[in-house]
Amino acid sequence: MAFGRYLIKRGVLLLITLVLAVYVSVIIANFGGFIDEILKGQIAFAVRTSLRADPDYAALPDDVQEEIFRVRFEGMVEARGLNEPFLPKTIRYTIDALQLKLGRAIVLTDAAGSDQIADIILERLPRTLILFFTADIIAAAFGIWLGMKMAHRAMSPMDRGLTVLSITTFVIPPWVFGIYFILIFGYGLRIFPPGGFLTTPPPTDPWLYTADFMYHLALPLGTVVFAIFGSWAYTTRNLVLQVMDEDFVMAGRAKGLSEGAVQRKYVLRAASPPIVTALALTLVGSWFGAIITETVFNWPGIGLLYFQAIQVFDAPIIIGLIAVYAVLLVATVFVLDLTYGLLDPRVRATRGA
Amino acid sequence: MAAPPALGIVATLKDAFRTVPGIVGGGMLVALLAMVVIVPIYAPFDVVSTWGDVSAWVDNPRLAGPEWSDIFVPGTLPRTITIQPEDFRKTKVVSETFGITTIVLRSTFDFSADYFPGELTFRLFTTFKDITPLVSVQLERPDGETVELLRTTPENQAPTANSYPFSQTITVPETLRNIRAWATSNFNATDVAFPKPEVTLFAEGGEDMLDPHRARLMRGEYGIRVIAVAFDSEDNIDGRFLVFGRVFGLAGTDHLRRDLLTGILWGAPVALAFGTVAALIVILTQTVFGAISGWYGGRTDEAVQRASDFFLIIPILPILILISIFYRPSIWAILFVVVAFSLVGGTSKVIRSIVLQVKQEQYVESATSYGASKIRILFKHIFPRVMPYTFALIALAVPAYIFLEASLAFLGLGDPVLPTWGSLLGTAYNNNAMFNGFWWWIALPSAGIIFATVAFALLGYSFDKVLNPRLREQ
Repeated sequence: MAFGRYLIKRGVLLLITLVLAVYVSVIIANFGGFIDEILKGQIAFAVRTSLRADPDYAALPDDVQEEIFRVRFEGMVEARGLNEPFLPKTIRYTIDALQLKLGRAIVLTDAAGSDQIADIILERLPRTLILFFTADIIAAAFGIWLGMKMAHRAMSPMDRGLTVLSITTFVIPPWVFGIYFILIFGYGLRIFPPGGFLTTPPPTDPWLYTADFMYHLALPLGTVVFAIFGSWAYTTRNLVLQVMDEDFVMAGRAKGLSEGAVQRKYVLRAASPPIVTALALTLVGSWFGAIITETVFNWPGIGLLYFQAIQVFDAPIIIGLIAVYAVLLVATVFVLDLTYGLLDPRVRATRGA
Repeated sequence: MAAPPALGIVATLKDAFRTVPGIVGGGMLVALLAMVVIVPIYAPFDVVSTWGDVSAWVDNPRLAGPEWSDIFVPGTLPRTITIQPEDFRKTKVVSETFGITTIVLRSTFDFSADYFPGELTFRLFTTFKDITPLVSVQLERPDGETVELLRTTPENQAPTANSYPFSQTITVPETLRNIRAWATSNFNATDVAFPKPEVTLFAEGGEDMLDPHRARLMRGEYGIRVIAVAFDSEDNIDGRFLVFGRVFGLAGTDHLRRDLLTGILWGAPVALAFGTVAALIVILTQTVFGAISGWYGGRTDEAVQRASDFFLIIPILPILILISIFYRPSIWAILFVVVAFSLVGGTSKVIRSIVLQVKQEQYVESATSYGASKIRILFKHIFPRVMPYTFALIALAVPAYIFLEASLAFLGLGDPVLPTWGSLLGTAYNNNAMFNGFWWWIALPSAGIIFATVAFALLGYSFDKVLNPRLREQ
């Protein structure tokens, strides 16, 4: 069973890749103990502050004071696991991260005050997903539709114009458009709120709450769709143009099928594997690639969380986010391999070899 | 699958520059390169090296729009009027009897814009022996009124200036007190909570002259007079009077009065250098690995492909942000990190697939058959064959790297010294430029980025068109 062997091999390799990627991230996020030093400094400061607030403590002789400080400080360091040697510690971090045992954040909390990283990520994740999944799906649907239209009238003025528009919009990242759109629609015309995801205080009525949320969602959503639909349109156009010459498409036409049916049944189906791959990878990638877009729109999702975490040196959150991302990405790649192999015998033959 | 067309780099370039996107993209690139040439003339490096130095830009208006923003409003916006020390007519009278030297500086200027000036500032340069002179600064209006702005004893010896920013009513409260007293007594003006010196002084006399929203502008010839009473015959004074405008230069100024045109022009070489160097190194390295991978096959291939997977999974922007926060690296250190994390990747996969097709072509087979070594074929036949594709990929990769640098700079993590388009945008964003309507501060730097990236995108697209003839079929 060549395909089975191929899948196993592929799975093992992906797993190794995953472990390495997370380990590298852990090392970088710790910066050879740099973060640990910062954390120890923070602990020392916190312990001293809390002791100083205690009048009984101030009455004690100096060496006793120092002893109490040392015991408390070391206890805290021990509790946080900061006194472990570097190598075992990073390996432990990696194993925990891979099992998605994300642990506690150092500084940041969720809205309810929980410092469990899983809670924090789960609070932020839906917002990012709503924004970027929706945008991806709208952009993909619109882009594929537009791409097929463009391929159908290839080299017409419409096609040329849309091609240039597609290319120019997809090299420019969403946040640049975001800045312009906030300037124009948010501050200039005052049609949309310039940032945030709810008005303060948020409406209590669930319908109004939803409406308010949608109102805040509109501008970032429109921006992201505008920034990425071009790449879908252009890719689809090129794929469809390549497929349109194939014999089976000609055969479909020869059978007397309508142009629409040929497009749907023959062209789009043949062009769909790369499109599906791109869509799957975009959907996974999108929930991480949005650090600056979310910052610009002040949209409190995963991207903004990542930036906030870096600013306060909250290494566990950074590692947790990268780990979750890497696991999702690797899982997607594996599922894609699997589906391809099942659907397309050619892939099985060439890739298994 | 058909083998890719065999075109040399020169032929590809020739064909590419015959397409419309190629011509437009090429033209835009030439414009950018012209900008790079203009930069050292408009703003030599010693100008831009003072970018972080606040005192180097004090004679520019603060947060002024570009001069061409006149087209958005009726009438003309005021330009900055500067009266330099040599513009003043100086009269010096030494009275031996009383041991007193009187110095008078006087100059006039015509104010003909349709809006009130932005700010008023006087810089006084004094040389004195033991006792500081007593200096009075007065403004003469077209209607014959004279207002004393300030009476002071300057402490700094020239060349250090004594600065009197009259519009900053907290720094120089006396000016506002004088103006209030003058306007209420001479014109019966109604007092308001926050009058502005630069408005009332340039307003038609009357009831509303203290109210910045209702005061009416008075055009005409204004005069500035400085009278100093000094106590040594060698004492001297000089002055510079600044009536700041609301517009400045071609690109306006930022909150630290810096000329944004300098920053935007300097952004071009920085972005071009970073983008092209990063794209060149990364794409060439990946091409070499991709070609080796496809040409040698077997374990080499496997190793390169797995390494590509690894690098593709590592999230580069988050890691770059992390590194930038901890180390504040210079732009070249950032470049190094980018290259280190992209030794193999998407491009090596593309090039590998092209090499796999080229491998089966007849001339490669014949080269093998007459006994050419593998490495010789790689260099003599495979590399020249994939180079045009590499070229297209480089052009398409440049925008990505320009934006990578801009993204980091936007977050305040770029090069700490040089102004770049991204850092201009980031500063603007952090100073609420959008909220306050300082549109030029946002729109012009981002127009720079967009211009540069669109140029490369169009170039890459024109190469793509030449190299993939199927894209133009039908």
